[in-house]
Amino acid sequence: MSQPPLVEMIGIEKHFGGVRAVDHVSLDLFPGEVVGVLGHNGAGKSCLMRILAGAMIPNAGEIRVNGSPVSFADPNDAREAGIETIYQTLALADHLDAPSNLFLGRELKTRLGNLDDARMLAESRKVLARLNPNFKNLQDPVSSLSGGQRQVIAIARAIYFDTRVLIMDEPTAALGPSETAMVANLIRQLQSEGIGILLVSHDMHDVFDLCDRVVVMNKGRLVGAHRIDEVTKDDVLSLIVKGELPADWTARNLEAAQ
Amino acid sequence: MSDATKPADRRAATPLAALMPDAAKIHRLSAVLTLLLLVAGFSLASQAFFSVNNGLTILLQTSVIGLLGIGMTMVIITGGIDLSVGSVLALSGVGTAMAIKAGLPVAPAMALGVLIGAGCGAVNGLVVTRMKIPPFVATLGMMLMARGLALQLTGAAPISQLGEAFGRLGNGALFRMVEMQSNGFPKVIFPGIPYPAILLLLVAMGAAYMLRRRRIGRHIYATGSNEEAARLSGVRVDQTKLYAYVMSGALAGLAGNVLMSRLVTAQPSEGVMYELDAIAAAVIGGASLSGGVGTVSGTMIGAFIIGILRNGLNMAGVSAFIQQIVIGAVVIGAVWIDQMRNRR
Ligand SMILES: Nc1ncnc2c1ncn2[C@@H]1O[C@H](COP(=O)(O)OP(=O)(O)OP(=O)(O)O)[C@@H](O)[C@H]1O
Ligand SMILES: [Mg+2]
Repeated sequence: MSQPPLVEMIGIEKHFGGVRAVDHVSLDLFPGEVVGVLGHNGAGKSCLMRILAGAMIPNAGEIRVNGSPVSFADPNDAREAGIETIYQTLALADHLDAPSNLFLGRELKTRLGNLDDARMLAESRKVLARLNPNFKNLQDPVSSLSGGQRQVIAIARAIYFDTRVLIMDEPTAALGPSETAMVANLIRQLQSEGIGILLVSHDMHDVFDLCDRVVVMNKGRLVGAHRIDEVTKDDVLSLIVKGELPADWTARNLEAAQ
Repeated sequence: MSDATKPADRRAATPLAALMPDAAKIHRLSAVLTLLLLVAGFSLASQAFFSVNNGLTILLQTSVIGLLGIGMTMVIITGGIDLSVGSVLALSGVGTAMAIKAGLPVAPAMALGVLIGAGCGAVNGLVVTRMKIPPFVATLGMMLMARGLALQLTGAAPISQLGEAFGRLGNGALFRMVEMQSNGFPKVIFPGIPYPAILLLLVAMGAAYMLRRRRIGRHIYATGSNEEAARLSGVRVDQTKLYAYVMSGALAGLAGNVLMSRLVTAQPSEGVMYELDAIAAAVIGGASLSGGVGTVSGTMIGAFIIGILRNGLNMAGVSAFIQQIVIGAVVIGAVWIDQMRNRR
């Protein structure tokens, strides 16, 4: 591809005391591409994503956005660069309602500078309806909502604003089948709009369904980066569990061409 | 926090929820009920309690607790606590008095007092956010330092003879009507609305507006509700906390000026344990010590409960020792209610 990647992460490292959570990992993402980030529990996926989101400061490494180096001191910096994140923990303020959470940190204001709660409610209604038409109790504190509804708020918050890179850290973990299908459709739609998506998931089916490429992490290291048509589910499983491809592996698409 | 906005809309959305009053509403209702019960009880116990003059006295007494309570509420909503307000009140009052003694006019001297309070609050906020010291410890340290400084500066002696102008804020009243009688003595037709009460009302309205309608208010709630989530959402959590502590300090400074002005004397030992009254007012009013919950209107009700309790016990001739026991029990009771609420 001739155009520069949306984002590049080069030689990223993060350690906590002796634990190497992210060990010299490099990754890139192009417009309109969905890249699956896989790995066992504790492999370092969330740490890598948080670093790109500006929520965690790496010990070493470089991040480039559209080819130019950036340094994210806090999540606002990443958001300004068009990088939105759905955190695994959802990152919702429990006592606030859905609109307040959706617009937290980016509140809509009236001309006098007051909070424009009416407009935030109306906008929330619109974007939430796109994900879950049954979402009605918008003005309840989110602590009283179901896990799926909370997840939908976190997703809505990430797609409402002018997004160019979307990080989704297990976005469907709490969702039912129809909501999961809705998120899959959403991912395809965002992809067609040219947004780059990093999808962290344990669901092999979703990954093969949605992703153009997969990268696999094992104990903090990047052990594989493949186009989705090069590998089978078993290959990916072997990378996740053992950290290496099966001994007799050849690229699947080349195999088929022979 | 959206409880007061469009109740009708909400009812339509969740018909079942409207039938079951939520915990916050029950809490508010029980606080108002307590207030009414106290008024009724004390009125029966003492004739003098239910009079215009005593009402004004209560208003005056409550204004100091109220001002402290509003600042405390902001800090408590962020998930913190400010134990220094009683001492900061004294230091600010002393600062104002010393400035007047040094020849400064009353108004700028009082502004200086409020600034001293804000400065103490800023130190609290910076110690909490930069040094990552728990609010309890940070403000406990400030409580000792501010008190020590106030006593050191004055040699522990009150500063008196501050002039009539200094006493106006604490003793003056709006719409006061006095008529000269034929015998040459003045007769008070209407005692007027005390300036401290007006000040409290203005501050309460300003604070409520800030918490409800302004971005910083929303961020204060978000920070106390889930600090990490607020940070990830782009809220400048440290600045938000700093703001709350500065406001608490500034309001303690204002309360100090009101109190010292009323006495027309700066007392460096004034305001001991006032922080407990302020915390009690906030918690009785529904603020949660674990953060994210609290309102100015609730704290006002709480402040009046404390104020009326103290005044009524006084009028009923209950000794100061017994008063301490009662207020202590009320504080524990209020925090206990808060705990019960969180357990569910
Ligand atoms: N704030 C932290 N402090 C100390 N160690 C941490 C911290 N965050 C993560 N770690 C460690 O870093 C490693 C990677 O964690 P991470 O959350 O990135 O895993 P993950 O791949 O997202 O796992 P999962 O699939 O369970 O979500 C783990 O060993 C974890 O214990
Ligand atoms: Mg994770």
